[in-house]
This record gives sequence, C-alpha cells and structure tokens, in this order.
Amino acid sequence: MRIVVTYKWTCDPEESTVRADGTVDWSRAKPGLSTYDPVAIELARRLADEADAELIGLTAGGKGVGAPIATKTALSRGLDRVVVIEDDSLREAGRSELAAVLAAAVRQIGDVTLVITGDSSVDVAAKMVPTVLAGELGWPAVAEVTAVAGQAGALRVERAIPGGAQVLEISGPVVLAASADAAVPHVPGMKELLAAGKKPVDLLALSALKVTPRNAAMTVTGRSRPERKARKGQLIDTADPAAAAAELVAALREVGAL
Amino acid sequence: MDFELTDEQDLVRSTVREFAAAELAPIAGEIDRDHRFPHETLPKLAELNLMGMPYPDKLGGAGMDYVSYVIAVEEISRACASTGIILSAHTSLATWPVYKFGTQAQHDKYLTDMASGHRLGAFALTEPAAGTDAGAGTATAVPSGDEYILNGSKIFITNAPYADVYIVFAKTDQERGARGMSAFIVEKGTPGFTVGEAEHKLGIRGSSTPPIYFADCRIPQSALLGEEGSGFKIAMQTLDGGRIGVAAQALGIAQAALDASIAYAKERVQFGKPIATLQAIQWMIADMATEVDAARLLVYRAASCVDKNVPYSTEGAMAKLFASETATRVAGKAIQIHGGYGYTESYPVERNYRDAKITELYEGTSEVQRMVIARSSLR
Repeated sequence: MRIVVTYKWTCDPEESTVRADGTVDWSRAKPGLSTYDPVAIELARRLADEADAELIGLTAGGKGVGAPIATKTALSRGLDRVVVIEDDSLREAGRSELAAVLAAAVRQIGDVTLVITGDSSVDVAAKMVPTVLAGELGWPAVAEVTAVAGQAGALRVERAIPGGAQVLEISGPVVLAASADAAVPHVPGMKELLAAGKKPVDLLALSALKVTPRNAAMTVTGRSRPERKARKGQLIDTADPAAAAAELVAALREVGAL
Repeated sequence: MDFELTDEQDLVRSTVREFAAAELAPIAGEIDRDHRFPHETLPKLAELNLMGMPYPDKLGGAGMDYVSYVIAVEEISRACASTGIILSAHTSLATWPVYKFGTQAQHDKYLTDMASGHRLGAFALTEPAAGTDAGAGTATAVPSGDEYILNGSKIFITNAPYADVYIVFAKTDQERGARGMSAFIVEKGTPGFTVGEAEHKLGIRGSSTPPIYFADCRIPQSALLGEEGSGFKIAMQTLDGGRIGVAAQALGIAQAALDASIAYAKERVQFGKPIATLQAIQWMIADMATEVDAARLLVYRAASCVDKNVPYSTEGAMAKLFASETATRVAGKAIQIHGGYGYTESYPVERNYRDAKITELYEGTSEVQRMVIARSSLR
C-alpha cells in the first residue's frame, strides 16, 4: 500500500508585517512546514505503520520547496521519502492549478490508494486543494477526518460533523483532509533529524508531468482593504447593569453594528 | 567564514523550540514557584535523544555536533532555565568525564544509560570551604583493600536528589594538594552516601541543589575514574566544556528576556502610543539585541572549537563570561522596560532576572573566567 501525504513549505503570515501601503512584507518570515501538515503526517504515519504501507510526502511549489532544509524538515516528521516538484512557475499558482500538479504527481508515483492532506495551509487557508485534488483524480474526498484505520481498499474513517462524529467505510482510493486536531504531532527526536538527511528525495520536473491543462485563466486585478474607521472611544459607565446594557445596544444600533 | 547554521542545526533549533514551547514553557513558572524538580520532563528529553546529544550513537547518544547541543540547551533554557541546567549538568558535567576518562567496563556499565538519558548524572566537586579554590577540597578517598572509603561532604550538587550516577572528587593523597585529588563514579544508594535537603535559591528553583555526604562510604576500586591523582585535571577539563553549556543556558535566558521585552514594548501604550516608539526604549532594545547576538556568536564559536577538536578553554571562558553577564544585564533591562509589571510574577522577566545570576557563578565564577582569559592573553 502506498500512502501519499501532501505538505506545503511556506511562510507563516504571523511572521510577516503589513507595510503602510497595505502590501505584505515577507522578508523576515522564515519558511517552514505549514502548521497543520505535521498533523496530517502524524495521522498518515500511524496508518502506514498499522498497514505496513510506504508513506510518501508530496509537495509542489516555487524555488525553495526542494531545498535540503525543506525536505529534511518534512522527512524528519516520519515520511519514508518525499517527492518534490520545484518550479518557479508554481510560486503564484492558484489552488486548482496546484491540485492539478499534485494529481499528476500522484498518478506518476503510481499504486497510490490514499492521499492525506492537512486541514488547510497556514498562508492561504482556502481549504480547496483536497477536494479539487480528489476531483482531478476522480476520487471521493472526505474532510474533517479525525481518525483513519484499515488497509488499502478497506478504510474506516471517522470525521467530525456539526454536533457529533460520522464513521465511514471506504472501499476505494480516496483523498482525506485531516482535521486540525486529528492528532498531536510527535516532535522528532535528534536521531530522527539525523536520519532525515539520509532518506530519499525524488525531484520531478513539472514539464515531465501530465498535468490536466487549465481551460480558464484567473488573474488578480485588484485588491482593497476595508476602510478603517476611527475608534469612537465611547465609555458606558452607567452603574445599573440593565441600563448599561440598553445603552450599549442603542449605541451599537446607532453605528449599524447591530 | 560562514556564519550560517547547517540544515541540521537549523532543524535542531526549530524542533527543540517546538518541544520547549509545548512541554517546558507551560510548567516553567509553576516549577519555579513550587521549587519543584520536573520529573515528568526527563523521560521526554530522553525520548528525543536530548540527554546525550554529543555522544556517539553506538554509545547511547545522538551523535550530534556540539553546536547542535548548545543550540538545544539555549532553546530549552529560553523556555525553562531550570531544565536547561538539569540537562547541561547531566550531559556536560556528569556524562562527559565517564565518556572521556572511563574504562571500557565503566562505559559498559554507565555510559550508554547516561547518554541515552535512562540514568541521570550529577557532578560533585564543590565543598563548603572549597568553591573557586576547588583544589582545597577535604573530602577523602582512602584505599582499603580492593575498595576506597569515602568521607566528606559536597554542596550545591545539581540533580543530586534524583541522580543515579555521581562523579565525586576526593583526595587519595592529602599531602599533594590538588594533585592528590582523584575522581570516582559513585552510585545512588551506596551505603554511607546520603543526600541532604535542597537549597532554597534565588533562581533556577526547578533544579534541585542539595549537599551530599559521605560517611565511611565504601566503593569498589573499579569506581576510580582515570588515574589516581588525576582528579583535579579531570575536573578542570570537564568544567572547560561544562561552561559552554552554562553559556548556552545564559544565552537562552537572555533571549527569553529580550523576546518578552520586544513583545511588551509593542503592546504597552503610554502617552497615546506604544512604548516601542520611544527612543529610550528603542535604544535599550538595540543594546540588548546586540549583546545577545554577540553572546550567541561567542557561544557558538566555543562549541565549534569542540567540534573541530581544537583547544577551547579560552573560548569557553569568554563565552561563559560574556553570555552570563549579558543575561544579567539584559534581564535587568527587561524588567526596566516592563516597569512595575516586570516586578510581578505576572510576567516572566522577573524569573529570567533571578535565573540569570547563577550563570555568573557556577561552573567557574566570572572572576575565574577572567583568570583563564588573562592567563591565555598574557602568555
């Protein structure tokens, strides 16, 4: 059984700053594994150990995703090997384009029956790639997965739904998006860090992949920020709680917040 | 000259930082307030191969370079200085002399367990009347048949209540002064060996530091570490490396204080704007950042000397001297930046301040470091 887990090497927006003109300065942000990807890798590793499967990390992006620090960081989390598509044309790739590249890579790897992704990426958080990837592969997609067990072609998946949990028996290949709290990722030990440097890294050329061509182009033509309003700084210091609450509601209605 | 860390060193930093944030930072304040030794942390450190990082894999260690080790001590100490010294004393002071001077039998019996973190070590040199003047110790180890009989007391022994293996220094020949000192490996529970009550300290309160006592404590001849009479040399060489670990601890404390100060200065509003916009605060932050970076370069340079197997006594002394005094200065400025809040337990900088001071004292006071550096400079 081969399990692929996708991961993203990217910067955390928390480390970026916004310039006065509204543009984002990423220069001080250090790239790393997207926050929820270690959760997906942990979930995938446990299943791979249980099912005696090979666990392959897969990533695609611009220059830097194939750097040794990036691959070693991913491998140290418990992957058996990684497959990397590093191409600067992917730096600004949209979600659907990225998903198409990942799907082509999954087909190229071959004999893959399960793809696990993180909940969302830390920088974009669109939550689209798992479902678009599944669509490209012609597989079902299941999100908010909290547990998975079983073997290829016979998986038992638990997912969170509003108000409870759902259990699914899945008999074919599938894309699972791990819930952000599906597992507590283990911190790699020092020996795992050293071993990561010796694990295989397969670089795939984008030009060699059979990527389904896009039949529509999207270009961002504008961005705007909401108008910043000056703080009113209005103080409600009425002693009686009921009267103070009424005053607060009236003030919020006056400014259109309620 | 390349000032960049390797990928592995970068990965060590981010990984240990992740661990420290999840497991050490949440309890750092509590173990300090309660003077509590963090028993629950040691197995976690061992599981991540952090207890014997610089020792070969085949001997139970992680087989990593010394720069990676000091980075780990720095990141651990940044979250919890008490845990930093528990680790550093075990790895640098207790495990190293067994690794360097132990026989094959001693390696088999102790080293793998110590390097893998399954047995905790302690280093017992200091005595009530012999601190900086370590050679004036009066603890004795009198040969008796195929044993030695230990008598005497040691103070300020980090890890003592919970250690399994103790490196103890005692005079086998009292006539020869420091040259009559020998080193021994003593196991917990040996009859005649007791551990006293832990000191209540200004800082690093999660680290336990009691006296230990030997009263006609019989140990086998095989407990001798190195040659008879080489104990003082073993102690000094061990401290040469150990002070790089303390320098890394000081660096971690200083970085924590600086990080807290930057965060506070950005949030605290006075006169209608964050105090980070005030030049007085900016200059303090600038000085703190510069000193911490300079300390880091000295600490990493000393560790790099260990990796290159070149002499590091002077470099280690410089690192320890500068990093420890930087930690005290930076932690003091951190409280200044925090104002009245910095004086309360609501913010961590008061703990940084209390933790910092010991780094100027143990494993050779700043005065001792100056002696080492002067001797080297004036040769």
